[in-house]
Amino acid sequence: MYDLIIFLILMSLGYGFGRVAEKRHYKSIIERETALNRIPAIVLRFPPPSLKPQHTELVMGSVVISIDYFKRIAAGLRSLVGGRMMSYETLLDRARREAVLRMKEQADALGANMVFNIKMETASISKGRKNKIGSVEVLAYGTAIIPAAESVPAKIVA
Amino acid sequence: MSLEYKQIQPPEGINTSKEHPLKEFSLLLMAILLFIVLAVVSLSYTAHLLAPFIPFSAEQKMADMFADQMNDEQLVSDDAEVTIYLQSLADRLAMAQGLPDDMSITVHYVDDETVNAFATLGGHVFFFRGLLENIPNENALAMVMAHEIAHVKHRHPIKSLGRAVITGTAIAVVSSAAGGNIIADVLGETGLLTALKFSREQEQQSDESAMTALAHVYGHVGGANSLFEVLEAANPDRLQPPEFFSSHPHTDNRIESISAMASKNHWPTMGDVTPLPIEFSRWLEQTGDTFDLSY
Repeated sequence: MYDLIIFLILMSLGYGFGRVAEKRHYKSIIERETALNRIPAIVLRFPPPSLKPQHTELVMGSVVISIDYFKRIAAGLRSLVGGRMMSYETLLDRARREAVLRMKEQADALGANMVFNIKMETASISKGRKNKIGSVEVLAYGTAIIPAAESVPAKIVA
Repeated sequence: MSLEYKQIQPPEGINTSKEHPLKEFSLLLMAILLFIVLAVVSLSYTAHLLAPFIPFSAEQKMADMFADQMNDEQLVSDDAEVTIYLQSLADRLAMAQGLPDDMSITVHYVDDETVNAFATLGGHVFFFRGLLENIPNENALAMVMAHEIAHVKHRHPIKSLGRAVITGTAIAVVSSAAGGNIIADVLGETGLLTALKFSREQEQQSDESAMTALAHVYGHVGGANSLFEVLEAANPDRLQPPEFFSSHPHTDNRIESISAMASKNHWPTMGDVTPLPIEFSRWLEQTGDTFDLSY
């Protein structure tokens, strides 16, 4: 009986905190994305020759994110019957966007105006502890194109 | 240099779903619970059909395996006067009920204030001090005893065990498929709650057999009602759950169906009640540390 009560408490805590965290995260993601749209992320391997970048640099952003208790249970139930894993969809969506954002933030700090050759990698960090940890890592990396403009700090150009 | 590349904000809700997570969760939970209930009902029905074919001797061997666990301090030894008295009453009632020859009843007395008595595997019947303290006369005691003996006679403990094993297995299979120790714990917990309880139909059946035995031994069924009054008085404030969720029929309904049975079979509901042995309360006292001689 006590197990059941603890379970219900964990479920509602997970649901409450998870909902709030997700809502806040999405709000922040959309805000920052809108601001950083001035630095396009492009999947082409090489920038067109016309671009003639002054300087290029590897930029990357990585994020580790976990689902809440409620979603883990919901996903467990879903895995019995199959179908869209809605619990995990938002997890991966948030992780990918956050990783790209962090990469762009790094590029922005370097004074880049675009990032080429974007790649993404996903790693599950729940290896061997399948039922305990529902976390995922997403790593986004690319080549920041830093123009020879006046905005670029001298030391980076050098 | 004008930008040849431009990034626009993608619309939301393409890679994620706008559906409320609770909606999905409750739908899934209902579907899976429905499946479990259906599976358990059909499996336990099968278990009920098959359980009576397990010989009673096998049931006794099974009970002996659990015997070590039952052997705690509160269990009073079998040669105590109260146990001898209860055992002789049990033997009389077992004979009146026509208990098959290969079955036997072993009565145990537990020094605990729980107002209860129960029958379990191998014909072992347990009586708690709390119940015996509140019993007004031998007829009421015989009603409890006959009721528990009837459980044994109708093989209810082994049927319940069969159901519990089947339910436990079904739950373990489902929860391991869902991949959660937590789910397994929770489902297991709910399974255990229902494990070794008898169904309402079984209680009803035992009531009927007990009444028949009572009428046979005492010539009337007076005293049966007073038992339920004792049970009622033991938990006066208890809010009874709806009968659907309860393992025993409601006390009111039990008294009603008892009167119905009595009038159907022309059993007198009144008669001379046999008092308990004069020494009875002393026997209880001997084994209990704290004892209230309030009746």
